[in-house]
Amino acid sequence: MPALTADGVSAGYGRTTIISDINLTAERGNVTTIIGPNGAGKSTFAKTLVGILRPSKGRITVGDVDITRMPGHLIPRNGLVYVPQNDNVFKRLTVRENLEVGGFASRANPETRMAEILAIFTDLEKATDKKAGFLSGGQQNLLAIARALMVDPSVILLDEPTAGLSPAYTDVVWNQIARISQLNTAVVVVEQNVERALKHSDFVHIFVAGTNHVHGPAAEIADLDLASIFLGRSGAH
Amino acid sequence: MSNIWYYVFTLVFFLFDYFILAMGLNIQYGETGILNFAYIGFVAVGSYVTGALALPSSVGTGQHYILGLGLPFPVNLILGGLASCGLAVVVALISLRRLRTDYLAMVLISLSLVLYDICNNFVPLFNGADGLYNVPEPFAGVLKLTTNSFIPFFAAVTGVIAALLWWVMSRITRSPQGRTFRAIRDDEVVAAALGKDVFRNQLKSMLIGSFYAGVGGGLIIQFSGSFNPTAWLPGETFVVFAVLIVGGVGNNVGMLVGSLVVETLLIHLPAFLPAIPGHPGLIEYFDSVLIGILLMAMLWFRPQGIVPERVRRALSLGAPANLVAGRGEAPGSAPGRPVPVEIATADAQGEK
Ligand SMILES: Nc1ncnc2c1ncn2[C@@H]1O[C@H](COP(=O)(O)OP(=O)(O)OP(=O)(O)O)[C@@H](O)[C@H]1O
Ligand SMILES: [Mg+2]
Repeated sequence: MPALTADGVSAGYGRTTIISDINLTAERGNVTTIIGPNGAGKSTFAKTLVGILRPSKGRITVGDVDITRMPGHLIPRNGLVYVPQNDNVFKRLTVRENLEVGGFASRANPETRMAEILAIFTDLEKATDKKAGFLSGGQQNLLAIARALMVDPSVILLDEPTAGLSPAYTDVVWNQIARISQLNTAVVVVEQNVERALKHSDFVHIFVAGTNHVHGPAAEIADLDLASIFLGRSGAH
Repeated sequence: MSNIWYYVFTLVFFLFDYFILAMGLNIQYGETGILNFAYIGFVAVGSYVTGALALPSSVGTGQHYILGLGLPFPVNLILGGLASCGLAVVVALISLRRLRTDYLAMVLISLSLVLYDICNNFVPLFNGADGLYNVPEPFAGVLKLTTNSFIPFFAAVTGVIAALLWWVMSRITRSPQGRTFRAIRDDEVVAAALGKDVFRNQLKSMLIGSFYAGVGGGLIIQFSGSFNPTAWLPGETFVVFAVLIVGGVGNNVGMLVGSLVVETLLIHLPAFLPAIPGHPGLIEYFDSVLIGILLMAMLWFRPQGIVPERVRRALSLGAPANLVAGRGEAPGSAPGRPVPVEIATADAQGEK
């Protein structure tokens, strides 16, 4: 059973539909990436998955639990945790407190879990008593990811975790994403950079104008004429 | 007792009382980020209810008020705090769930004006513009206190209550619950994404803060024996905000320091200064000017307040490690279930 299934999901803001009929699955141990031009509805889809927006149609399940109309705060304990695109840390809390806030949603012992996570995110380990607002942008993104892992999720959903980072730090973040998927977590990443997405992921979904008709294993997507797909010349209406 | 001691203990009373009020606003605004611009309304509700519960039945007193149960202190005080919590529940259910900080702040300002107009004009409630008076002094009969000895006595009682409430508040702010409040203050969406029920936590914070507001208000009417609308003009809320900002938002010790500087030194001390000849009452207006200047100076030079929010330290886990995060294997080659690339054609969407 896929860790995450979106089945024919449509959603939008108010009466405007932004995404329509999205089908997507994510498996544990895989990195599934969503790419697409600005405004294609990638973030809208992410927000719909985690209950910030209500889908007008379709079904969302995590494992065998239907979370389609579940209040957002109940979703993490069912295994899906989300890291938003911007401003994703509690800036006036320390790194440790940020992690602790995440830890209280999980059943595992937060201290043990934190030690495990800091062992992966060694960058954060020496900054545990620093306020998160004083970290660099890249470190903040890593902290947001690490904190999401405190919940011990089956699916982690990252909205542009490398936006605005230097190329070197972008690699650091992607390497961490790889490690997370190796911990048998399903990772869903929204990414702007097509090349990186193809390089680092197992499956790729291309969002164009609120649809994801084009999707498949990264290697096969790489062979397509992405420029035309992005421009909506193929696979779109 | 000489006049000077009367002044001193009055100042001491207001120091402790505003400490309590500031702690209540701090949990709402400083810790949870709820911009409660109606705070003084919650103080007033606590004050009126505490007073009305202590007073005997209104028949024949020349005053008009509800309740009038003649309850002893501190039962009436606790109920006054709870009445304020009741108001918080109403406000939260109507506005907290739907509105974000700035809009909520506007609604709360209006609320405080509405509350004010009701209390000021609807006489049967709390005696309208005259307010409540002749409220019995706690323990005065039992301890045979005179008007003079009551003042230091009650300042001390307030000090004890403030200390108790401080102890409780430090426990709350240091607990995981306090951390959740601060997480919500920093980012509601992210807190929800981590499984926090934002509304429930904001409601909790509103309730705790309102209890402090109500108790602080109740102590005022018990101390002075009276309370009327001139004591809680809607602008008074900003005096409590000034206490917070000057003392240091998010820090309980800061509340005490802020209370000392703003409430004691700036607001109440000038009231005891001799009037400027030919301009009676002018001194009182300096309060607002001084507070305004002080606020601007603080925000400009020391926005974190006199006593800034503590960085909550804890033992570090493990030894410092390498600078760069460990680099794992790139997963590019991970085998997945082979899924054919689906390129939809126009008719694939036909089901719509
Ligand atoms: N809060 C909102 N209210 C109304 N419309 C919105 C809102 N947020 C986004 N939109 C609209 O929804 C569409 C999709 O936006 P979305 O943020 O999902 O795009 P995206 O694919 O994440 O883009 P980017 O790559 O720039 O992050 C855009 O047309 C945008 O204007
Ligand atoms: Mg986006």
